[in-house]
Amino acid sequence: MATAAQEPIPLFDLRLTDDDLRAVEDVLRSGTLQMGAHAEAFERAFAAHLGSAHVVALSSCTAALHLAFVATGVGPGDEVIVPSYTFAATAAAVLYCGATPVFADVIGPHDPSIDPAHVAALITPRTRAVACVHFGGYAAPVHELRALCDRNGVALVEDAAHAPAATAGGAMLGTVGQAGCFSLFSNKVLSVGEGGLLCTDDARIAEQARRLRSRAGYRFDDMRAALGLSRLRGLHDDIAQRRRLTRRYREQLQAVDGLTLPYPDEAVDASSCYVMPIMLTDPGRRDAVRAALRSRHGVQTSLLYPAVHEFTAYLQRFGRIELPRTEHCSRAEITLPLFPHMTTAQQDRVVAALACELGAP
Amino acid sequence: MSAPHRNVPLTGTPLGDADVDAVLEAYRSGWLTMGPRTERFEEAFAAATGAAHAVAVSSGTAAVHLALLAAGVGAGDEVIVPALTFGAVEDVVRACGATPVRCDIAGAHDHNADPADVADRVTPATRAILATHRWGYPCDMPALRATCDRHGLVLVEDAAQAILAGGVGAGDLTCYSLSGTKQLGVGEGGMVTAPAAAHAARVRSLRSHAMTSVTWDRHRGHAQSYDVVDVGFNYRLDEPRAALGLSRLGALAAEIRQRRAVVRAYRAAFADLQDAVVVPFTDGDVERSSHCCFGLVFASGGTRDAVCRDLGRHGIQTLREPDIAVGDRGTPRAGDVASRSARLPLSGSLDEGQVAAVVDAVRAALRR
Repeated sequence: MATAAQEPIPLFDLRLTDDDLRAVEDVLRSGTLQMGAHAEAFERAFAAHLGSAHVVALSSCTAALHLAFVATGVGPGDEVIVPSYTFAATAAAVLYCGATPVFADVIGPHDPSIDPAHVAALITPRTRAVACVHFGGYAAPVHELRALCDRNGVALVEDAAHAPAATAGGAMLGTVGQAGCFSLFSNKVLSVGEGGLLCTDDARIAEQARRLRSRAGYRFDDMRAALGLSRLRGLHDDIAQRRRLTRRYREQLQAVDGLTLPYPDEAVDASSCYVMPIMLTDPGRRDAVRAALRSRHGVQTSLLYPAVHEFTAYLQRFGRIELPRTEHCSRAEITLPLFPHMTTAQQDRVVAALACELGAP
Repeated sequence: MSAPHRNVPLTGTPLGDADVDAVLEAYRSGWLTMGPRTERFEEAFAAATGAAHAVAVSSGTAAVHLALLAAGVGAGDEVIVPALTFGAVEDVVRACGATPVRCDIAGAHDHNADPADVADRVTPATRAILATHRWGYPCDMPALRATCDRHGLVLVEDAAQAILAGGVGAGDLTCYSLSGTKQLGVGEGGMVTAPAAAHAARVRSLRSHAMTSVTWDRHRGHAQSYDVVDVGFNYRLDEPRAALGLSRLGALAAEIRQRRAVVRAYRAAFADLQDAVVVPFTDGDVERSSHCCFGLVFASGGTRDAVCRDLGRHGIQTLREPDIAVGDRGTPRAGDVASRSARLPLSGSLDEGQVAAVVDAVRAALRR
């Protein structure tokens, strides 16, 4: 068993390269920090990476979601179907538009993506858009959702905050819906601190997002753009490491009782592997296991996500809603440490710590 | 004969080695979301501006949005805003569910709100007055405060352009911009200061989705999960920009002195052009301003446009004023000034030769 005296293993650990730092330094020395040539170059490079016609750099993924909803026509009185098993921003961005988020359940602990069957049942004449989240970098059933949305004349917005280089059926995530939204937040795969990107093939959506960017206080800046452009060059290597570590986690964790792994093994190859989620068989043990991992083993974990419909702010607005599979996942999930330079020894310690705590009565 | 070509940017952020090192150190640490550097920057910003509380945010627009929400502005309320301002201000009032009510400016010589006009715009629905310190020149805070006290209104300052200007910070909430075009530019960013702890706490909560803990708390084991207690936003600053702001804060007073020297030089050089241009504000105002921008009001929009074109040909950058007020008959003075004024280059790093080049180019253009 590991001891607390060992070096703690962080949930994520960002390391920038000398090239990254030089890119930032060049902008600082130029004396022009506001959005300009570097932001445009970053937008073009990310558009080429996705094969998307337009990319707009913004202050956050929350900003990208807000402008994606505005630009797809979401306004007061409209409904937008969103998962509750997500970060609060997915639903908050709907509220910014004066519209109502309607929460759909997930498929289950083996696939915590929004359930297309439940989405279909929730569509009303007031539905204007559907948002899907590619949880952890793993694709939601995005082609099925796009077909469903097309049949009903509503827009699909992809919350691809976790998924900057993931695919579904060969398509880059973020490019299947009318708009895709990416996060550059500090713990994300392509982090620069704070930032977001909106991608679209629709020139009108791009034009509207660009026009609203400054008015809404959602501008990016060139320091972060230069860093993003530099880090984009290392993205595929980073994700290759994340996939390698994820495969190894999954092999090792098969021997540990008391947990299940979401998504099939083959999904790892198409995922950006933002995080390593596990689902405990007995959610009642989750808090104690997390506390022990931290205090006894020096292993930092997180939870993705507390369910949005159960937050105080949403209970006050919309009352009690039953989403049994979402509630199960939100109580059963533990996010394990994962970062590209994680060592085999660190990974073994995480697995051993889990085996120790889950094996104990 | 044309003046020699000399590139003069509208603005600039001159950074020293210590500034660069502070940013790179933050990036090297690997911890980029709000943490210890943001806390230190907030403390230093509060000390520098004489504020009780300071909360770092993502932009000046975000600062105004959160300040209005903290002031209790909501559906059905009216907020009095100057007609001559950045367009985002009115959008932010609407984002609160409230209605912006424009007030006029004093005139071509003083682009700040006319306090008498502000008082006339107060209705039973008015909740707050947004006091904007244009270009860094303090508006008439005592008069606006008196109006607020008479009607029980909240006085929110838009000090996006007016960090460290005389008398700024006397409002109930004060909003600053840290965008790259401002005196304390860090790229994009903002700050809200307030005397009341409750106002600051509300801004702090709403800037990060009204979550009861942030990543930094959870990283340190101070919290294991979180609740979301309101509809908040992602209006966070990050650590590298906080490190830059903290580093630059020490040299800010000197930067403002340099800007003031440039403005004095401009005013002296244009003093004999009083028939052709208005040089706004008084010499006394210049001593109290923190000098984000400098500009002139020309005889007509046509003259303004011709001068800007001429300067552009010489590599001198200018900026027309936002024209939201143009054509608005409710605020004729704001519309008039917006239609015929332009900003000239101003930064702490402009040298005498650059200032002379701008002056010569403007004078030459006006002679045509």
